Amino acid sequence: MFEHLDPRSSTPLYAQIANRCRVAIAAGELHPGAALPSVRHLAAQLRVNPATVVQAYRDLEADGFVEMRQGAGTFVREVAPEGRARERARQASALVRQLLADAGRLGVSLPELQAAIAEEIGVGTS
Amino acid sequence: MFRVMLYSQWKWCRLIVVLGSVAGFALPLVSVQGAARADSSPLQAGELLQAVQSWGTLYPVLAAALGLLVAIATWAPDHRGRHVHALSLPVPRWRYVLLRFSAGAVLLAAPILALSAGAVLATWSATIPAGLQGYPVALAIRFALAVLLAYAVFFAVSAGTARTAGIILAVIGSVILVQVVASVANVDFDLLGKLQVAVLNWPGPLAIFTGRWMLIDV
Amino acid sequence: MSNAIEIHQLHYRAGRTFEIKDLDLSVPAGAIYGFLGPNGSGKTTTIRLALGLLRPLAGRITVLGDTIPENAPHVLARVGFVPEQPHLDPVLTVRETLRFQAAFYPAWDWPWAERLLRQFELQEQQPFGRLSKGQKGKLMMLLALAQRPELLVLDEPTDGLDPVVRRDVLSALLDYVSQRRATVFISSHLVHELERFCDWIGVMDNGRLITAVPMERFKNGVKRLRISDAPPTPDSPPFVLLAREPANGTTETWLVRDWEPQMTRYFESIGAVVNDVIDLDLEEGFVELLRTFRSPRS
Repeated sequence: MFEHLDPRSSTPLYAQIANRCRVAIAAGELHPGAALPSVRHLAAQLRVNPATVVQAYRDLEADGFVEMRQGAGTFVREVAPEGRARERARQASALVRQLLADAGRLGVSLPELQAAIAEEIGVGTS
Repeated sequence: MFRVMLYSQWKWCRLIVVLGSVAGFALPLVSVQGAARADSSPLQAGELLQAVQSWGTLYPVLAAALGLLVAIATWAPDHRGRHVHALSLPVPRWRYVLLRFSAGAVLLAAPILALSAGAVLATWSATIPAGLQGYPVALAIRFALAVLLAYAVFFAVSAGTARTAGIILAVIGSVILVQVVASVANVDFDLLGKLQVAVLNWPGPLAIFTGRWMLIDV
Repeated sequence: MSNAIEIHQLHYRAGRTFEIKDLDLSVPAGAIYGFLGPNGSGKTTTIRLALGLLRPLAGRITVLGDTIPENAPHVLARVGFVPEQPHLDPVLTVRETLRFQAAFYPAWDWPWAERLLRQFELQEQQPFGRLSKGQKGKLMMLLALAQRPELLVLDEPTDGLDPVVRRDVLSALLDYVSQRRATVFISSHLVHELERFCDWIGVMDNGRLITAVPMERFKNGVKRLRISDAPPTPDSPPFVLLAREPANGTTETWLVRDWEPQMTRYFESIGAVVNDVIDLDLEEGFVELLRTFRSPRS
């Protein structure tokens, strides 16, 4: 789940970690009540600062995805389907934003991009 | 702390200590046998003295060798590692040095005890004139003092920086070189002899190395 | 105690060419401080001075609240040190080395040492001298961690180790840091490695500390800008211009420090266009910083 953590990306590491968890929860991979890896375990496994993991978990808690229980760990909360849908929409927007930014940098125009998207979707569903 | 120091020092010195103990045990036996055999009649007094002379020199040599080798073995790993390990340990430098010295001294007890045992066995087995029965104890004590003195001197030299040890060795080397050159050039200049008289015979701790070791005299 | 290590106006000289002068360095307690610098910049010497292995010519050094070198033994009991070169007795086996070290550190944790021994897959009966480089590196980290120190001072602990061993060593380190709020001072010239977990960065070059800032400020602050139609002499920019190179046509590449996103307005005011703001990863930022520090501004 946590492969491809990129310290060089402009997204801070804690945000990348939190994002992975969000995606997993939204997609239903992590069920409500499931325990996230302990701060100690994850910091050692990913070789990141434990403060980074703590910040990621706090972010998730602020968004209502998990709850941090003193002494017990961090557990996934029951997220309503609307919450999950909202998260998926957020992820989709982020993807599109990235795509548009990359296209702009490469000099690909919007019509060209839309044509490519249509073709790829067509290929995918055929 | 002392226990682990002793253990590591044992690992470095064990060959020296074992060989030294064997030599220390054998030396009195062999030398007294040599002297005793020559003592059968007055006609062989000269032989007795000669035997005593030749065997007697081995004691101080063994004592000096043991002291030197154990001292070197104690400090060689430290010098090789540029003192990083010793300096990174949470003990003051003086305490570390004291622990090392004590460990080496404890290890040197083995050859000393071996020599005492050998001396006791030698006097018990050979026919020696009465009055020399106290000889093994005297010999052992003298040997012990000589070993510890040699150890202390060489320990002090080795514990210094590599530069100090190098300087001392360079001085010794140059003295020998001067002597060699002098004898080659046929110049009558007995530097080593004079030094030997000055250092070893002068009444002081180093005099323990000279004089009669075997106490068997006519 | 707010700073685990405090170095003030350190002065040291070795030989005729190498000198550390006016060095001021502070490592906050609980931080993971990355100490970067090219080979020969003085990282190892600074570490040795900080732990009392060398004597400075001048300056004040305080580690964990005690002065160095007067109280060095008392401090060293609470510091886990991994030096640049393997420094342990080559004759002792792994198990014997553990026993030796354990005798000197009152806080030694045997159960944890045993667990790390198994985790690192070290052969107990192998003499230290016959271990591979990776195994030596793992053992030295094990010894530093098992004494449960308040401060870890690591001099290029992963240098020359293969990637698998590097991961093992760093995982064990971060595992420990998560358990207790220890301070870590780790020097390396493997920048990408430190990037993942350091929250402070100090950069040393040629005996001088050229920058010491929180990691975020270092990473975010240095940017590469693609600018078009910039005037030859821009007046007082809000950022620090480190370098300026022509790219193609009217486009230039600007290397800047202390950048903030709203500074694009500055370019509008001088009639230029910001085509792109490129992040530099830590390694590039480090290289550029050294480059601009060593040569005069273009």
